[in-house]
Parts: sequence; structure tokens; C-alpha cells
Amino acid sequence: MTFFHFGNCVALAYIPYAIVYKCSGLSEYNAFWKCVKAGGAYLFTQLCKMMVLATFFPATDSGGDGLDVTGEFLKCTVDLADLVGLHLIMTRIAGKSQLKFMVAGMGWATSELIMTRVIPLWVGARGVEFDWKYIQMSFDSNVSLIHHISTAMLVWLYSRNDLNKSMLPVVTSLLLLGCYRPLIVEILIHAVGLGSWMLLLAKTLFTLCVGLVTLQMYLRIPAQLQNSYY
Amino acid sequence: MFEEVSEVMEMFRNAFPLSFLFFIPILIALTPVGAANEFSVYKMQRYDLQGTSFGSKNFLINMEARPVGSSSMTRRCIVARLEEVTLSGYRDWVSQNAGGLVILIPENIQQLSEKEKKHLQNLEEDLLVEESGIPVYFAPETEELAEIYESIKNGASGDQAATAWQAFLGAATANGFQMVMTGPAEKPLTDFPIASIQGRLSGSGIEEQLPSIVIVAHYDSFGVAPGLAQGADSNGSGVVVLMELARLFSKLFTNSRTHAKYNLVFLLSGGGKFNYQGTKRWIEDNLELDANVFTDAAFVLCLDSLGADQTLNLHVSKPPKEGSAGAEFLKNLEELAKSRSPAVKFNMVHKKINLADEMLAWEHERFSIKRLQAFTLSHLDSHKSPLRSSILDTKENVNVEVLNRNVGIIAESLAAFIYNTSTTSVSQLFSQSLGPQASIESAMLNYLIQESRCAQLVAPEHSLITTLQDTMSRYLKDVKISTHKADKRDPEFLFYSGSQYTMNAYNVKPAVFDLFLAAAIAAYLVMIWFLSQNMNVLFSTIKKYVQSPQKVKSQ
Repeated sequence: MTFFHFGNCVALAYIPYAIVYKCSGLSEYNAFWKCVKAGGAYLFTQLCKMMVLATFFPATDSGGDGLDVTGEFLKCTVDLADLVGLHLIMTRIAGKSQLKFMVAGMGWATSELIMTRVIPLWVGARGVEFDWKYIQMSFDSNVSLIHHISTAMLVWLYSRNDLNKSMLPVVTSLLLLGCYRPLIVEILIHAVGLGSWMLLLAKTLFTLCVGLVTLQMYLRIPAQLQNSYY
Repeated sequence: MFEEVSEVMEMFRNAFPLSFLFFIPILIALTPVGAANEFSVYKMQRYDLQGTSFGSKNFLINMEARPVGSSSMTRRCIVARLEEVTLSGYRDWVSQNAGGLVILIPENIQQLSEKEKKHLQNLEEDLLVEESGIPVYFAPETEELAEIYESIKNGASGDQAATAWQAFLGAATANGFQMVMTGPAEKPLTDFPIASIQGRLSGSGIEEQLPSIVIVAHYDSFGVAPGLAQGADSNGSGVVVLMELARLFSKLFTNSRTHAKYNLVFLLSGGGKFNYQGTKRWIEDNLELDANVFTDAAFVLCLDSLGADQTLNLHVSKPPKEGSAGAEFLKNLEELAKSRSPAVKFNMVHKKINLADEMLAWEHERFSIKRLQAFTLSHLDSHKSPLRSSILDTKENVNVEVLNRNVGIIAESLAAFIYNTSTTSVSQLFSQSLGPQASIESAMLNYLIQESRCAQLVAPEHSLITTLQDTMSRYLKDVKISTHKADKRDPEFLFYSGSQYTMNAYNVKPAVFDLFLAAAIAAYLVMIWFLSQNMNVLFSTIKKYVQSPQKVKSQ
């Protein structure tokens, strides 16, 4: 709409990232370059994913309204590569355990934010026409920060040896849920016909639940019980 | 630290082509932003004729939309349905300094009820004459546009609020539309050439010594918005009749037995709706240069609006004298009109030329001024009929059967005159193969109304002119286009460019809304900051909850 509106959107999208970076203790560990590396890894993973998608899922121009569930499902399966990417980042980064997944999650989310949100905001939010979708998009990026950090946390939990074995199915199912989130969203849009605001709310609640469960499991780990940073 | 930096750079350098490849698709995918609602609008006429200006002097609209009845119109664009626009309302908006007016008309204009049509015709006349600076546009109402109209109408704009607080709230929640027009700027078309096309059929004998009959029809149309003026009846029907006459008589004139001792001159004149500018110039040119067209002209027959009704009116400035060529032709017409079943009502309408009036009534008056025997044939009984200059004059106004019948009547009475035979014997002449054909007429008419033929839109290079020229050359000889430009110092007419524009309706929020949003976002961010500052409280609560059962176990 105006430059002011663009400023609003950018503030809503980016300042929470800065706050999280400052308050989570990442800044005290000079973890900036580690985050950048994680971001680079994000780029590389996306590229690999795109190669796979372009090779095995050629774009169909049919453009029908119907939802191709199996096709979408397979595409989301490719997103499992994200988890591998996150895992690789964490094995490469030396540091405290909680630092590892924070770095991976932050770097990953920031990189995604820059790659996918800057240009639409720049092009759209400054345009003459007002649309709520830019505010929604900015808010959505906050949600995806939580999502990525909790995913990183889950991946980290998955690779732990001292994780309670009974927790393993929970972790796996949460990871899969996170992975197939876009598919679930698509189905929700088609089946229930959720409006954009309701969808955003649903996403937020879903992500918060996953985050809380993950956090609880993380804190259950014996190592955390003994020498906790907090 | 530096090691890390170089490491990162290394990674980027290695991956540069790849990351480049990665950016491009994202850029491509994201650049097209959903365009705003876009629709076509047609500008109201603007022209200067004989020193008087018509139409609005401004054309630009870039302002917020308001419905009819909102309290403040200043620098706002009024969006109204046709029935909401009245002359008094319009004057009121002018006095309030409204910035623009977009009038929604149905996509199919014939859907209007009789009363609404009447209203539109009155409005067309009034708006043109009214002197104002408000740009007026006509927009065919698409579904999208109807939605925009509804939201403008229902939009709670700050203007209507009762209290200051309501106005404040309204400003924050309002959903306004910014109407933005795009297109080339309107500019005067000085030196605009009006094209007229003429052709002839020579009679048998020495051409120079034969009398001529001149058949004239102006081809341009007129309406309140030049881009919408189809002009099917006035004067698409006249052009069709002229073309059909040219076709029929060209066949007759190629046969030596039916080669008459008259020259037939056909003229498609331009600028007919602007006081017959093309005709005027053509007469001047031919009186000076090529005298033989007029010295022996038997009469001049002008064709105007011949596509409807059971009547035919012959408009004359001076009733033809008994025994003159005109009187004979008139008699033929009358007899032939009667002989049709059902009978066609034929009248002669006598109206003296009003020299005080700047605008001539009918095209034949241009010839009558020069003391030529001339008359106009039309189904209309008065030149003031609003149908002659309305955007309502669409294809539905023309009945091809009636048109075909009129061609028959005119062709037969002409033939009876030039062969000097009785009207009853001549009807065999136009039998099956030589008769007027409705299919040809209908095709011609469809071609003519495809596009608006308003004088300012039809330059000599226009495809309409070349097509008409080609069609005429198929039947006639010496087909040529003559152009007429207005005098540089004292132009009789001046047109302005631009008829169709694209208008965008952008959904906008008032500036106060941005402030509200900024405040809300700031509050949200403070909340986030506060939350992350107190994260450890959350952690310890969860930890307590998690630890307690384990402690129980260990005990």
C-alpha cells in the first residue's frame, strides 16, 4: 500500500527473529556465522530438492481445481530431505547441545524468510492495493520460526542415544507431521474451506502444540535434567 | 572467526552457480503480483464545434471512489449506476468540485427499460452541453464492476459518520477504492482529416452532358461516448442502402439495354454528426473544380436512418416544383411506398433552413443552401430525434427486412425516374438475381457496427475507410477519398484523442489504518520480547512438571 505498510510488514516478519536470536543466548556464543552456514545449507538442500522435484515431478499444466493428493504426498515426501539437511548441519556444528539445534533452526528459518518473503513483500506490500495477505505472510513467518526450531529440536532428539525409547514413536510421528504440514494445509483448504485467517490460526495452534510437546520431551532427557543451562 | 568467514565464503563460492540457479526461479515465480480489478471505461465526447466546446475539459482520474449520496465529493470519483445520475445531481457534484464520474451502464444496453432509455437519451444531451471540468466515463458493468460498486456503496467511509469517534473508527476500518486511469493523455487532434469517399456510374452518352443524380450518406456515428457509439441506424443503415444501390445500379449500367442517360454519383461523407463537415467541403471542392457534377444535377438524395418503422419521410427545405425532377421522384416514391404490403406510410416533411441556427438539421440542407434540389429520406420525422446521436443506437434498432424493403422502394423509384417509366413496370426490373439481398445488407451492417465509427476515431487510414473504398471500387468508377482538415487559424471543428481507457480499482485503506496497524504490531512485538525474556520461567514450570513423577519413582 505504502512504504509505511511495507515497514509494518517487515517489522512483523523480522523483529521476532532478532528477539529470539538475542534472547536465546545465541548472541552470547557468537553463533552468527554458524547461523549463516546453516542458512547456506538450507539453500543447498532446497536446490537438491528442486532437482529431484524437477526430475521426477514434471510440472503439469492441467491446472485443475481438484486436489491431487497422491502427487502432493509424494512431493511432501521430498521434504524429508529437509530433515536430513538439518541433521547434517547439527553434526557439523560443534557446541553445546541446545546451541546446536537453535543454530540450525534459526539459520534455516532465517534463510527461508529471506528467500521466500522479501521479494513478495517488496513487490506487493508497497503496491497501491491493500491486502491483508502481506500481514498474514509476515505473521506466518513467525510461526515458521517456531516450526523450524521445533523440527530441529526433534531431529536432534531423534539422533540422541539417551532418548527414552518410548518417546521414539512420538518423535517420529511429530517429524512426519511437520513434514507433511503443507499437505495437511492443502487438504484443509480444499475440504473445510478455511479462510486465510482461520488457516493461519490453525497453523499457529498446531505449531505451538508441536513446539510444546517437543520442548517437554527435550527437558525430559536425563542430561538436561542434570546440567541445564537454564 | 576469520577462518569461519573464509569457510562460509568458500561454501558460497562453490555453490554460487547453484545458488544463482536457485534464486532465478524464485524471482520469476514471485514477480507477478495479482493485478487490481481492471476494466474498460469510455470517455465522454469532447470536441469544439464552430467555436463552442462540448464535453469535459479534464480527463484524468486518480482518486478515491465515492457512491452517490456521500456527503463529501470534493476531489473524489463518483461511481454511479445510470439511474442515479440526473442533471440536477450532476450540477450539484460540479458545484462540490467532484473529481470524476464513472457511470455504469449495462453491458447490453438494450436491457434497459423504455423509461431508462429515455433517461439515458436525455442525459446524453444534457451532459454534453453542460460546461464542467469533471471527467465523465462510461463503463459497461461487468460482474467484477458490480461487486466493486456494491462495496463502494456499502463501504463505511468516514464522511458519513455521526460523531468524531465513529469517523475515526470508520477511517481505520474503511475499505476504500482508489480509481486510477491508465492510458495516453488526451490531446487535441489538430489537422485531423475527415475522409469522404466518392464514386460514380457514368450514364450512356457523352458523360459531361448528362444530368447527374447524387446519392449521399454520412458514415459516421455519434454518442455520448465516442467509443460506444455503434450508430447502427444512424447512419449505418444509410451506408448499407447506399452500397446496395451502388451494387444494383452498377449491374444495370453495365448492360447496354439498361444503361440510363443519367450519371449516378455516390458519396459517403464524413463528419456528418459535426454539422456535415465532409459534405460541406465536398460541395465546395466540386463547385469550384469539377462543375459538371452540379450544373446538371437532377437532384440530391441523402439517406439517413432507414432501418426501422413503417414510415418513410422525405425531408425537404423547399417543396419541389411541379414537373421538376424532384417532384417526379417524389411521386414515384409515394406510389411505390403505397404498393407495398403492408403499405408504407410516406410523408413529405417541409422544414425551412434556419440560417440563424448554427447546426443544420439534415444533410440535404448543405445542398439546398447551394440552390440544389435536395432531400433527405429517413424514417425519422424530425432531425431532433435523440436516436440519431445516442449510444442506444445498436444493432437491435435496425430491422434488416425493413432495410431491405426500403432499398427496394428507393431503387425502384430511382429506376422509374431514370428510365422514365411507370412505377408498376419497373418492379420486374429488380427481380430475383438483381433484387436487393438481405444477406448482403446484413453482412455489411454487421461489419459497420463492429467498431465505433465516431468521426474522431475514423482517420483516413482507418480500416473502415479502406474497406468502404474497396467495396465501392467493386461497383463504381473513379472511387477516391477526399480529406478535409479544419482551417488552422479558425478551426470549425477540433477533436480530441482518446476514447477507451483502462481503469484500475485498487482496494486501499486510509492512512490512519497504517498507524493502527503499526501500534498493533508494536504491541505484539513487545509481547514476544517479554515472553522470550521469561522463557526460563516456562522452562522451569515444564521441568517441574516433568521431573516430579521421576522423583517419585526414584524415591
